[in-house]
Amino acid sequence: MLEFLLALLTTATVGVLLVPLLRQRLPATPRLDNDLAIYRDQLAELERDQAAGTLPDAEAKAARTEIERRILTAAEQDAKEAATKSTATLHRFLPPALCLAVPLVALGLYLQIGRPGLPASPFAQHATTPAPQQDDLPAQIAAIKKQAAEHPDDPAALSALGEALTIEAQGVVTRPAVEAFTKALKLQPGDARAAFFLGLHEQQSGDSPAALKRWRALEAQSPPDAPWLPTLRAEIAKAGGAPAPATTAAPGMPQPNQDQVEAMSRLSPEERQKTIRAMVEGLAAKMQDTPADRDGWLRLANARKVLGDHALAGDAFARADALGPLDGAALKEWAEAEVRQIPPGGAPPARAVAVLQRLERQEPNNALALFYLGAASFAEGDKPAAVKRWRALLALLPSDAPIRAMLEARIKEAE
Amino acid sequence: MNSRLLYALPLLTLVIMAGFFGWSLLSGRDPAAIGSVMVNRPAPSFAAPSLRDGQPALTSDLLKTGKPVLLNFFASWCTPCLAEHPLLLRLKEREGVTIIGIAWKNKPEEARAWLAKLGDPFAYVGTDYDGKLSLDWGLSGVPETYLIDATGTVRLHFHAPITERDLKETILPLLRAGK
Repeated sequence: MLEFLLALLTTATVGVLLVPLLRQRLPATPRLDNDLAIYRDQLAELERDQAAGTLPDAEAKAARTEIERRILTAAEQDAKEAATKSTATLHRFLPPALCLAVPLVALGLYLQIGRPGLPASPFAQHATTPAPQQDDLPAQIAAIKKQAAEHPDDPAALSALGEALTIEAQGVVTRPAVEAFTKALKLQPGDARAAFFLGLHEQQSGDSPAALKRWRALEAQSPPDAPWLPTLRAEIAKAGGAPAPATTAAPGMPQPNQDQVEAMSRLSPEERQKTIRAMVEGLAAKMQDTPADRDGWLRLANARKVLGDHALAGDAFARADALGPLDGAALKEWAEAEVRQIPPGGAPPARAVAVLQRLERQEPNNALALFYLGAASFAEGDKPAAVKRWRALLALLPSDAPIRAMLEARIKEAE
Repeated sequence: MNSRLLYALPLLTLVIMAGFFGWSLLSGRDPAAIGSVMVNRPAPSFAAPSLRDGQPALTSDLLKTGKPVLLNFFASWCTPCLAEHPLLLRLKEREGVTIIGIAWKNKPEEARAWLAKLGDPFAYVGTDYDGKLSLDWGLSGVPETYLIDATGTVRLHFHAPITERDLKETILPLLRAGK
């Protein structure tokens, strides 16, 4: 919408510039002709009057001189205007030049100093940020303080106290609040509220890196549906941290938390592989219980493929495909998983051919499809079809591709 | 010829303005920056009654201890002071900076309550209820912060709440150089 408005504004600007340029000016030379015709008439009239004797000679001479003087002036004027007409070429080139220059310069400036990636900050969002009932806020805070005073070793009460003190100080995490949060975190190390506000304190006291570190750790250990995640991510973004890389594993796949990731990094490669396999087997077992989860099958298929279990990956892709036809990247992944199962020089089995044919329909120049469908045609005895596909593939390959020689040999064999 | 010049006048104005705006955008000039006459001059006279009960009044000697100090004017009624308060606490606790506070046009009991609620970052804190002291210091409002080096010369003057960037880029490097 904004882009459309900007384009509209640019068009209007160019239009305003073009209108005066394109408006034709009165050509100078026709005007000179008109003027000269008038002066010629005047001269003729003068001569008539003189011949008729109504005009004395002296006066006639003066009038003639005057008219001649005017003719000269008119000619001079015309020459001058004709000179300005030499800007006609300018007039010819200015409109297209302006049409190009105005949008280009504007776009260039925008790309230079604009920030197209800046997230929107709609007013509605500001308005909805919590403004709890201000009337009973002091009462609530008093109750929380009382609670904390009665249970000085209850992390939840301490954490609530810290938040109450922060709200009381208009969002500034005060010294007493920091103390409450620190104590709460010591009593219960996973307390998300205490961790969030201590991060906020670090950010407010001018130590954004420390705040970001704490917040990122909190983000990593939060369950994906934690209610504080949006606020946390907003604060991280405000503190200048790029949003955390979107984890590819969607809900459903158990997310490894910080500790698990660290534990993994300490394992030997074999042990790590074993642990990963165990996780994938866990997902596979879960999929037996939720066989209608298409995304789950896709995740399982990709995990299997990464681990090199191409046959199992192919099966999982087929399960996902049955729930909703695969296309795009997923179809390519599936085709890859299928062809990896083909023994070198062997013909692709029926399922692989079906997948490859779909891939070829989606992407006629897909090298994988061209090569293996050619092999399938060759195995069926349809040699011309095989040669056609392989030739198409050969044309797509760079001249130094290592498989060219092999491909050329197979084409020769087919011919 | 003259009338032509007249026609070119709007265009000329536009070019001049565009040039100025372009320069402002690209030169990194901060239009909000205010110079200060205080910087690089000896600290003006300094005397204020202490905000804390029973403590001696603040004098110029506090500014010439052979160590750089920060002088911060604040008030309990001032929201930007609240925003910069955690930074002052950090400076005191983590960097060991001596900070002198002056409660400006602020009732002493209110300033005391404010500090009790938020935490007290000040090594010494005085009160300037009638604003006379601030006249000598060229104060335009609160919060304002001065950095005074070991020899008693004003080195920095902030007309706004100090920010993380001020801390990192100017205050801390100067303080470390001063030690």
